[in-house]
Amino acid sequence: MSCEIKSKKRAGIINPMVTCQPAGAQYASIGIEDCTAIVHGGQGCVMFVRLLFSQHLNENFDIASSSLHEDAAVLGAVHRVEGAVDVLLERYPHVKVVPIITTCSTEIIGDDVEGVIRKLKKGLLATKYADREVHLLPVHTPSFKGSQTSGYDAAVTAFVKHFATKTDECNGKLNLITGWVDPGDVAELKHLLKMMDVDATVLFEIENFDSPLMPDKSAVSHGTTTIEDMQGTANAIGTIALNKYEGGKAAEYLRDKFEIPTIIGPTPIGIRNTDTFLKNVSKLTGKPIPESLVRERGKAIDALQDLAHMFFADKKVAIYGHPDLAIGLAEFCLDLSMKPVLLLIGDENPNYAKDPRLLAIKEHAEFDMEVITNADLWELEDRIKNKGLEVDLILGHSKGRYIPVDNNIPMVRVGFPVYDRAGYYRHPKVGYNGAVWLAEEMANVLFTDMEYKKDREWILAMW
Amino acid sequence: MPYHTFECSKMLPDREKHAVIKGPGEDITSALPLGNLNTVPGTITERGCAYCGAKHVIGTPMKDVIHMSHGPMGCTYDTWQTKRYISDNDNYQLKYTFATDMKEKHVVFGAEKMLKQNIHEAFDAFPNINRMTLYQTCASALIGDDMDAIAKQVMKERPGVDIFVCNAPGFGGTSQTGGHHKINIAWINNKVGTVEPVIKSKYTINYVGDYNIQGDCEIMTDFFNRMGIQVISMFTGNGSYDDLRAMHRADLNVLECARSAEYICNELRVRYGTPRLDIDGFGFDLLAESLMKVAMFFGDDCVEKAKAIIDEEVARWKPELDWYAKRLKGKKICLWPGGSKLWHWAHVIEEEMGVKVVSVYSKFGHQGDFEKGIARCSEGALAIDDPNELEALEAMKMLKPDCILTGMRPGEVAKKIGIPYLNIHAYHNGPYKGFEGWVRLARDLYNAIYSPVMNLAAIDISKDDFDTDTGFKTRTMLSDPGVPREELHTENMYTGKMDIVTPLRGKKYDFPAPEPKADAVV
Repeated sequence: MSCEIKSKKRAGIINPMVTCQPAGAQYASIGIEDCTAIVHGGQGCVMFVRLLFSQHLNENFDIASSSLHEDAAVLGAVHRVEGAVDVLLERYPHVKVVPIITTCSTEIIGDDVEGVIRKLKKGLLATKYADREVHLLPVHTPSFKGSQTSGYDAAVTAFVKHFATKTDECNGKLNLITGWVDPGDVAELKHLLKMMDVDATVLFEIENFDSPLMPDKSAVSHGTTTIEDMQGTANAIGTIALNKYEGGKAAEYLRDKFEIPTIIGPTPIGIRNTDTFLKNVSKLTGKPIPESLVRERGKAIDALQDLAHMFFADKKVAIYGHPDLAIGLAEFCLDLSMKPVLLLIGDENPNYAKDPRLLAIKEHAEFDMEVITNADLWELEDRIKNKGLEVDLILGHSKGRYIPVDNNIPMVRVGFPVYDRAGYYRHPKVGYNGAVWLAEEMANVLFTDMEYKKDREWILAMW
Repeated sequence: MPYHTFECSKMLPDREKHAVIKGPGEDITSALPLGNLNTVPGTITERGCAYCGAKHVIGTPMKDVIHMSHGPMGCTYDTWQTKRYISDNDNYQLKYTFATDMKEKHVVFGAEKMLKQNIHEAFDAFPNINRMTLYQTCASALIGDDMDAIAKQVMKERPGVDIFVCNAPGFGGTSQTGGHHKINIAWINNKVGTVEPVIKSKYTINYVGDYNIQGDCEIMTDFFNRMGIQVISMFTGNGSYDDLRAMHRADLNVLECARSAEYICNELRVRYGTPRLDIDGFGFDLLAESLMKVAMFFGDDCVEKAKAIIDEEVARWKPELDWYAKRLKGKKICLWPGGSKLWHWAHVIEEEMGVKVVSVYSKFGHQGDFEKGIARCSEGALAIDDPNELEALEAMKMLKPDCILTGMRPGEVAKKIGIPYLNIHAYHNGPYKGFEGWVRLARDLYNAIYSPVMNLAAIDISKDDFDTDTGFKTRTMLSDPGVPREELHTENMYTGKMDIVTPLRGKKYDFPAPEPKADAVV
């Protein structure tokens, strides 16, 4: 029995699992109120990312482009940023925060984004927009480094660095850096904090990504974390970053710069990780875990107990997605007596091989398991089609949808993006309720598969 | 001046001449917006890049090909699975996409070596596929990798494989259109004339500028085949790479989307003398006319067959189209596609469905597209070039349309202000080409406009008086309030099957025997 952690051997990508850094920075930017990012690069870097967000959330999000054309690519394009900032500010009077997100093209041509921001601050902002609060900040996300995960991480760090301002008073709040999650997750996390009677600054407040269609036609989908929220992060009683690789750096910055007590991880997927999360909240705030959560937890365990040793035990699972999500799901599967035989993480990071969670899994695996970093979706498909890997269940996002479709394997859509199932962004994957949702989703997918394939479906006749 | 100034764009001199309203008695000499110019940065444009125009719009619908992009993974990932260009080979081109995964070290030291390794890996992974298209991205263009040289090397090392290189980086043009142009020209320069087709019919065409969205192309080629015409190649929907190398042998280029594919037709005329015939596959009258035009090019037997098809199809589907048209009459729509549909549809959708096109826009169209589109629009229509988020919102608030025909994301903007949308890039439930397809569009439009769900959205339960007597509303209760059931003729609502494309696959056709070519006689 062994667990190997290794990097994909092939040089190239067959069916990518992740997209590039600017997409991550853009996802972070839409979580902030009055924030519209300008992506400095070709128009596709924005147009398709906005489409991707739309595919996942069934909503529109505004992100601008500096619209790099041929002349600018050759001669330098900082003037396109100057133009974009002016046009954006003039036409969107509410906009206060404008991150300038770089891409591969503008990093390669070496545009001086810091320089143009300095120039704009002295010139345009000091004159034409002198009466207006405007924050321009660079977010460097060359597409040839990292992935959407590190891009998200870089953007959260950039926002925190720009805004966090120490004052004399502690604001009594907990900083909660969620990582790349769905609106349903944020709602669940806020529910847990409310039960704990903890006031928190959530980076980012994205519950409104799930916005209504109102009779007065007023609703817009956008995050609601404010400038004041971000400024206040320097005066918090503590920081919890749930995802080490998506927001962890920002938490470290707050710890190092402002001596904020900080806990990074774990991603609260499953019962144990949620327990730890609540314990950490309690540790940092001094607030006890209330009886109501003991009861909520009990309900969740009650639900899982109905499923675990009857339906989940020994089921082989392949998991792919964002690193913290994939690791969290693997831990949850182990708690459910399942066998996560293959874990795919879509980018390269020297810390993955040293990640204590992965090392613990490696130490205790009771079955043969592989963890592949820098992976693409072909790592999964090739094993299933050509190398004899058998799995009972796949956990991953919609870009891999043809693997279950073509190989008749049940799959639960989880992660980003999910566009071939309805409303998944609405449901939590974190917390006790997330654990129940995930487990029951897995069970129901397995049940449907039993019926569809006539595989001992009669088991369900008396369940 | 017919130019329309949006409130939200007043401060932008560069947007001054990008919108017009066709006034009474005006024609395109007085009302023509600028087109295909550099985008004003920061406007929140809907435009994409030249890479996606080349790879995503035109290249990838080719079905038996490894489609590889040379750059970081994002370009590949973001454009993958965002459009419904299906094929009859189990959708290989939808299922698989390839990226060379350019990293920082490659940007510094060059990525040609790893590109080569990538190409070999991809062919190794799919031994049954031996054709490849290779796309440049911003990153590979800027570091200056010689992709053509690498492709040539691999073709030498792996006899039997063929690779097409398309150098259309994202920044290479004002929008998608730059990529359309570049891939057209690259294909004719490098691939056309390198394969000789098997000629099975006296009459041969290339069907150009259709990307088989939900099966459009398969509907059209079924008509051509039934007319005895062999379709040598489809550019590029459901198209086969090697068939497209044989484009030079067709008697005629039948061109659908002139915006994206007229370049190759024009070049085929110059280089091989092949005439170009522009057609419209959408709308009963235009389609019938188009089939007749194609048939008349060839001969009486072809004309007879075309007439028979048209008579049969019209008799079958006209009553159903009319059922919807009666209920769509006077409804206002915004026809907001990428490019060519603004002129393909502007007139015929008004004529045949009774709707009023109150606005047309184009993200990447040229002035020529607006010439055609505005000529086909009725008075009062607002035409917008390279629309942006605020302008589109302002237009919707001003025009109060009943439905927006556009893409998914702008559709979400419309939804929030209570306006339903219909996807005309990827379609709702297409195909929309063909006679039955046009009925499907009318059906989708009707279903969108008379949606009982959207009907609920305007009610404010905290303030309004609302109907508490009924637990549901049907679509006809909304479209024909108070009309007795027997007068609704609901039997004429669309009666076709959900899937009308799969049954066409594998159909056998009779072709008139080809005449021996003069140059084949010794």
